[in-house]
Amino acid sequence: MADENSTPHKRGPLKSSVGSAAVQRRRDHAVTVRKERREALMRTKRLCRVGVSSDDADVPVDADMATDEEQSVLEDQTVKSMEELNLAIAYQGKGAMQKRVNALRELRRLLSKSEYPPVEAALKAGAMPTLVQCLSFGSPDEQLLETAWCLTNIAAGKPEETKALLPALPLLIAHMGEKSSLPVAEQCAWALGNVAGEGEELRDVLLSQGALQPLARMMLPNKGSTGHAKAATELIRIDGVLDAILRHLKRGDEELATEVAWVVVYLTALSNVATSMLAKSDLLQILVDRLASSNSLELLIPVLRSLGNLVAGDSYVTDNVLVAGNEVTVRVIQVMIKCLSSEHRVLKKESAWALSNVAAGSVEHKKLIHSSGAVSILIRLLSTSPFDIRKEVAYVLGNLCVAPSESGRPVLIVDHLVSLVGGGCLSGFADLVRSADIEAARLGLQFLELVLRGMPNGEGPKLVEAEDGIEAMERFQFHENEELRSMANQLVDKYFGEDYGLDA
Amino acid sequence: MAMEVTQILLSAQSVDSTVRKHAEENLKQFQEQNLPAFLLSLSVELANEEKPVDSRKLAGLVLKNALDAKEQHRKYEFVQRWLSLDVSVKSQIKACLLQTLSSTAIDARSTASQVIAKVAGIELPQKQWPELVGSLLSNVHQVPPHVKQATIETLGYLCEEVAPEVIDQDQVNKILTAVVQGMNANEANIEVRLASTRALYNALGFAQANFSNDMERDYIMRVVCEATLSPEVKIRQAAYECLVSIGSTYYEKLAPYIQDIFNITSKAVRDDEEPVALQAIEFWSSICDEEIDILDDYGGDFTADSDVPCYYFIKQALPALVPLLLETLLKQEEDQDQDEGAWNLAMAGGTCLGLVARTVGDDIVPPVMPFIEENITKGDWRQREAATYAFGSILEGPSPDKLTPIVNVALGFMLTALTKDPNSHVKDTTAWTLGRIFEFLHGSSVETPIITPANCQQIITVLLQSMKDAPNVAEKACGALYFLAQGYEDVGPTSPLTPYFQEIVQSLLNVTHREDAGESRLRTAAYETLNEVVRSSTEETARLVVELVQVIMTELHKTLEAQKLSSDEREKQTELQGLLCGCLQVIIQKLGASDPTKYALLQFADQIMNLLLRVFACRNATVHEEAMLSIGALAYATGLNFAKYMPDFYKYLEMGLQNFEEYQVCAVTVGVVGDICRALEDKVLAYCDGIMTQLLKDLSSNQLHRSVKPPIFSCFGDIALAIGENFEKYLMYAMPMLQSAAELSAHTSGADDEMIEYTNSLRNGILEAYSGIFQGFKNSPKTQLLIPYAPHILQFLDSIYIEKDMDDIVMKTAIGVLGDLADTLGSNAGALIRESLSSKDFLNECLSSDDHLIKESAEWARLAINRAISV
Repeated sequence: MADENSTPHKRGPLKSSVGSAAVQRRRDHAVTVRKERREALMRTKRLCRVGVSSDDADVPVDADMATDEEQSVLEDQTVKSMEELNLAIAYQGKGAMQKRVNALRELRRLLSKSEYPPVEAALKAGAMPTLVQCLSFGSPDEQLLETAWCLTNIAAGKPEETKALLPALPLLIAHMGEKSSLPVAEQCAWALGNVAGEGEELRDVLLSQGALQPLARMMLPNKGSTGHAKAATELIRIDGVLDAILRHLKRGDEELATEVAWVVVYLTALSNVATSMLAKSDLLQILVDRLASSNSLELLIPVLRSLGNLVAGDSYVTDNVLVAGNEVTVRVIQVMIKCLSSEHRVLKKESAWALSNVAAGSVEHKKLIHSSGAVSILIRLLSTSPFDIRKEVAYVLGNLCVAPSESGRPVLIVDHLVSLVGGGCLSGFADLVRSADIEAARLGLQFLELVLRGMPNGEGPKLVEAEDGIEAMERFQFHENEELRSMANQLVDKYFGEDYGLDA
Repeated sequence: MAMEVTQILLSAQSVDSTVRKHAEENLKQFQEQNLPAFLLSLSVELANEEKPVDSRKLAGLVLKNALDAKEQHRKYEFVQRWLSLDVSVKSQIKACLLQTLSSTAIDARSTASQVIAKVAGIELPQKQWPELVGSLLSNVHQVPPHVKQATIETLGYLCEEVAPEVIDQDQVNKILTAVVQGMNANEANIEVRLASTRALYNALGFAQANFSNDMERDYIMRVVCEATLSPEVKIRQAAYECLVSIGSTYYEKLAPYIQDIFNITSKAVRDDEEPVALQAIEFWSSICDEEIDILDDYGGDFTADSDVPCYYFIKQALPALVPLLLETLLKQEEDQDQDEGAWNLAMAGGTCLGLVARTVGDDIVPPVMPFIEENITKGDWRQREAATYAFGSILEGPSPDKLTPIVNVALGFMLTALTKDPNSHVKDTTAWTLGRIFEFLHGSSVETPIITPANCQQIITVLLQSMKDAPNVAEKACGALYFLAQGYEDVGPTSPLTPYFQEIVQSLLNVTHREDAGESRLRTAAYETLNEVVRSSTEETARLVVELVQVIMTELHKTLEAQKLSSDEREKQTELQGLLCGCLQVIIQKLGASDPTKYALLQFADQIMNLLLRVFACRNATVHEEAMLSIGALAYATGLNFAKYMPDFYKYLEMGLQNFEEYQVCAVTVGVVGDICRALEDKVLAYCDGIMTQLLKDLSSNQLHRSVKPPIFSCFGDIALAIGENFEKYLMYAMPMLQSAAELSAHTSGADDEMIEYTNSLRNGILEAYSGIFQGFKNSPKTQLLIPYAPHILQFLDSIYIEKDMDDIVMKTAIGVLGDLADTLGSNAGALIRESLSSKDFLNECLSSDDHLIKESAEWARLAINRAISV
């Protein structure tokens, strides 16, 4: 310490070697990378919203058990909560905002409560105009978020319920804009994703209202995170879009991947060109990897839907990528099984839909699915799940039993049919025949036809009769839909005509 | 009670190592067996005029070392040990020490001064030894000069050891009076004047009140300025050191004196001996430091709340200061470029010129340009070098608009000089200047590029050529290439360096193989430049980077195969291994960042890991640090697959966590645990018992360097995020640690800036741990285990909010914790949250923050809270 020659102010020379500063900079960089990764992980965990999965731990998971009585209680609550919401909107005093948010939250919770969300009751109670009002510009984020969340749940309902969202679309699109906070924009994207999934007509509406732009913009700078900033830069250079999408989807943290997956949902839903470009990339592989590795519902939904869109939208995928014998084909089926076995109705429905498109492929595809573990799950779902899922499942099972042929008339795959019927799927199809939904009824009838025609040793009619199939078909005797009517009548005449029972 | 220790102390300084070791052993035993007697014996020895100076001096040093240590925990231990000694022993020791101040042996006196200051440093804050300062001062005027010298020296050391608030103003006044009078020209004894001047240097921190009083300040300043004119060079040097310290401590009081100071400093710079001239330049450098800080605080808009106004001393002095500094540039020493520790007038002058440029910006250019133009083509190398150095010095500070046109003209000239100038100093400085050009005027943020398709090839050719020049020139050429590459780090998919990539890499590898690469830190520069070239490269050259992996692995392999090395060679090997590991770290990061290249990299993962494991087996701290950084990068690249390396790697991880002594290794290892957690997720569970045990041990140890604590806490969070509810079994250990650290870090009152900064990093670590634990447990049935901790955590948030001294990072993390708590505990914590201050005032403050990161966290926290309290 008492060094006689100490020069207390010796400073480093301006002209110094690059080495030491560079070493320090490199180490600091490693620390920065670590911090960024920690923050990214934390952000993902935080955004992993529990609402859709188990917002209320006290609600029984096994909602299939919900009785009619419970359902009507739920509907009453929904009507009440709509009244509350309307009151809250009319109220102008102190804490008005909080009242609105609370009412919206209650409604959202009801709408996500069971496997049979009271969407119809909400719509009947005038939910749509009220919710559109709640989306008005300048509303606080929380209100927007809850509203968009309500709309997401409504859009997940039946087709006509999804269509009810039409008046809300322009505002949902607007709130995906760059001025919105990320949770709001994400929720809006989710709601629109449900709309776009519904069909051609709604997709055209979305396109004409300019939904694609703000979706792309969602990848724009996410408040300082360099990964997102880079994602944006690359997206803007149109050349790199595809590449960026694939890269971020593959490498990004779950949050980023979720955003990108929604963009893919849109691209595959809205644009054939994009779908075909994506189909030729290794997107499918990436989607499958994500489906296999993630358990985040937020991420799984758009990824699964992208996969479905891809398989449905471009025959290239089924013809060239999902070739039987390719490892990826096997893995697609595995992840589908994972999703079908999931607790979440959305995952079940989406995966059944995607699988139905695979099942519509070649005989090889059908064999592959048939020999997988999917069949037993599908058969169970056909009898236990909510109607919309049942319908998707019916498509899969139906597709498994027929193969396309040169002549146009499908060829029956007898051993598949036998094993499915043996597995107990017939009652599910017979139920569908009784459905008011034309499409479902047609599916049911078509399957009954296969059974009647195809089961060996003429067992078909007996089996159908055992499931009250005759009664179900006779319902169509005077049905207004001509196609169904004649189909049902022909079947009854052909297999249960005057001769039926005589030779038994 | 005192024992005869003379012989042992003399033996302890013997040239015969056996004798020496034996004596040291004896001293150690004595100390352990009877500390009071040991210390007393030493003080008696020190005080005894009959004893040889050597044994007295060593007695004093051993005594001093028993009172103070560098390591915080040992220092604390020593302080406690002294305080618990018997009062009568301490009195006797202190009496001996004071008595020694009158010794005729200067070494004994000086040693006693230092020991007294150490004892004072322990006792005065405890309100013990209150009579010390008084007794030192009482006889300062009536004693022989040598006693006066020792007394004043003691006062100086005392001021160095003790914090200003410990001594009351009355005593401060007396100390300053004694010291300043001792400096006065009336003081006949030179040693007294020198001791006084040096004592003032330490006492300046105590003179706050005195510098606020015009009369007293005038007086002190006059005496200091007079002392700068003393015939004694040591006094002049010490006086300038005082002036430098005044310049930074009392900048705002300097205006009345600045003209005089300029006059005396310029005379000193021009005519005085080098040590004095260097301090005179240092005065202006430190004024630049002050003004740069102040102007930084202004931050462009002048409404900011800087406490101190800028007096623009540098700007005012510019017309005279710049020529003064330019003159110094011509006073180079031969061979200064080969000597790493060199510090002379020219170097100090150039360094100061660089600071002036940063202080005044564009205004530096006009007064410097004529000097450059006049000298840059002269026949004398000193003139050419000085001109180039002047140019290089002013490249940071002025605007690109001002500099770019000049640089565009100069660039061609520089490139020619670097190839053709006959003098190595000139080439050295030219290459350095090119590096400065690329550092400050080249990059994605610069509007008008300096490097264009027209000159890029020439620049690179010249730099690569210069890498074959003398080691010091080659090192600077590497530096220039380093900044050139860095400027392209955000260049996008196509880099202008792509066509040259292979050639550049090969040239740099050649440099690392030069026989003389050990000189001028050339090898380090070459590897770090290689790293920067790789880091800034694009996918166009990814294939070449993949090839480089194999080259670097081969090099590393070679260092591991070498056998029977001399200790000198081993040291070189070790340094080389460190550089190669650093290189691997950068390459892994680079290739790991995109998928196609990651797959290319992963085929080497096993081999890389094997090499790194062998490096760890070599047991050298620096290399461990670098190898750990590579491991961290590899863990991200391999993800879950890193699991297969864990069985072999784990022991080194544990070893790193146990390495208190080389705390940087410990800190880096703690960081790597976090990397591995993120890579392995719940697969890390199998190793968590060991890791947590080690981390908890680290935290409980008082030997651990404090800087490692915050990362350890953050690491708790990383682990909890990875293993989720499995963290349950560690809660009962981790939570109390976090809680007590939180209590300690809640309040900072009275701490200095450095302490506040540390406290904030500690808080951040604690908060990151809480966030990780909450988010880890989210959605698990075990969340209720966290409920008992919630009140304390909320209280912690409230108290740091009330303290009002957290930085932005802590604010962001803290409000995030509030959200995490609400998110995970939900309605279970609803009432608690509602009651907390944090959920209202703190949250609102964060919501209206200008910092978007804070705002984002706060918005999320609000959502989470609303969800929690509405359920």
